[in-house]
Amino acid sequence: MALDAPLMIFIAGLAIASAFALQARSKDGEDGTRAMIDSGLTFSVVGLMSSGWTYAIHNSLLDSGESSMCASEGLVQCGSVIGDPEWNNLFGIPWGITGLLSFSLLFFLFLSLRMDMHAKWAESFTTYSLLAGFAGLPFVVFLIFVELTQVEGAPHICPFCTVAHLSLVGFLAAAHALRGRKQSGMWA
Amino acid sequence: MARRRRPAAPKGRDDDVRPIAALGTFGVTSMILMAVMLLAPVVKVGPSEGELAPDFSAQAYSGGEWGDFRLSDLFNKSWAPGGDGDWIVVQYIDTDCPYCWNEGELMSQLHSQWNKEVTFVTVVVELGIQGHDSSRGEVEAFRDKTPYDGCKTNSNCADRPGNPHSWIYIDDLNARTSGDWELPGTPFAALLQPDGIVAWNPQQPGNHPDGEEMGGALQRLVGGS
Repeated sequence: MALDAPLMIFIAGLAIASAFALQARSKDGEDGTRAMIDSGLTFSVVGLMSSGWTYAIHNSLLDSGESSMCASEGLVQCGSVIGDPEWNNLFGIPWGITGLLSFSLLFFLFLSLRMDMHAKWAESFTTYSLLAGFAGLPFVVFLIFVELTQVEGAPHICPFCTVAHLSLVGFLAAAHALRGRKQSGMWA
Repeated sequence: MARRRRPAAPKGRDDDVRPIAALGTFGVTSMILMAVMLLAPVVKVGPSEGELAPDFSAQAYSGGEWGDFRLSDLFNKSWAPGGDGDWIVVQYIDTDCPYCWNEGELMSQLHSQWNKEVTFVTVVVELGIQGHDSSRGEVEAFRDKTPYDGCKTNSNCADRPGNPHSWIYIDDLNARTSGDWELPGTPFAALLQPDGIVAWNPQQPGNHPDGEEMGGALQRLVGGS
């Protein structure tokens, strides 16, 4: 599958988020903490956008049986993954919607921290972020398992789904680093 | 001697930013959702008339052996009213249900009359009723009308009314699709346009001429036979 524009934008987003995280590691105090929050925020925005994109692919597959938004043949494709009626839902809700709602929560937690790093609730929000990130991990593992073994013609790799999975892993790393900063007194 | 004071820890803002953050999150998520709607509007999926029929993939029996089947593979998305393309009858049965047993005859008649214009699909579920235990062997026997004790609870499948059925039977004994199809009971049959849109659902009699059943619906909607 060719690297199309949306996929390149998402990959660029992941790269920017990773750059923020690297920058944060080399800085002490408030600047480093802020960079780490920016990293997590960027990961969650990429997660939101890629989830929205997979939902759009889902809708266009339903509407016309095919989608110009992603390849439908080959190893790296979306048609067999997002278009699978049996696996692309969680209790009837498409995974794209589930991803949108989940990343909204992560975005809210980090946006709150970004807006007021020194609030009384900042410590509990770092904990909630870490727990929310961990809660998403089993779903990522499950979805990768589904892609590789369960969908029609498996194995397949859905690139936009993979972007969403990497966004969650990146967010989790940022949340873990933030909590470490809070506990070790490097927050500000 | 002057007392040394510890530097004060930075304090948070006086106002609570969380409602504003929630509003910001709502705004960002809404914008993404709106962009999705513009790119690819939501398609209403369900068993009601005018909705796209719920898709499913399952194992299917067509006489020889069981194989993969996906309902949407039958859809012709470029179909337009009056155009070519097979209509689809999706029938739900339980091989132990006496009404389904009797409907075997009607389905044979409908198939012999409409098989050039209509693809028939029978989905077999197992209702949670005592004595309604089914199996793939029973599904095969019900379809093929071959000797097997257990159809209609304790009858021989070879005695089923109607002819052996030559269309696809789907194994949904675990009832994975019945929720999406809002199955009211068995037998149940809906007629789909070639593009997969539900054209006739017996649960919506208000949309149909009085007393219309599947045969009448086929005559009215597919016609030409």
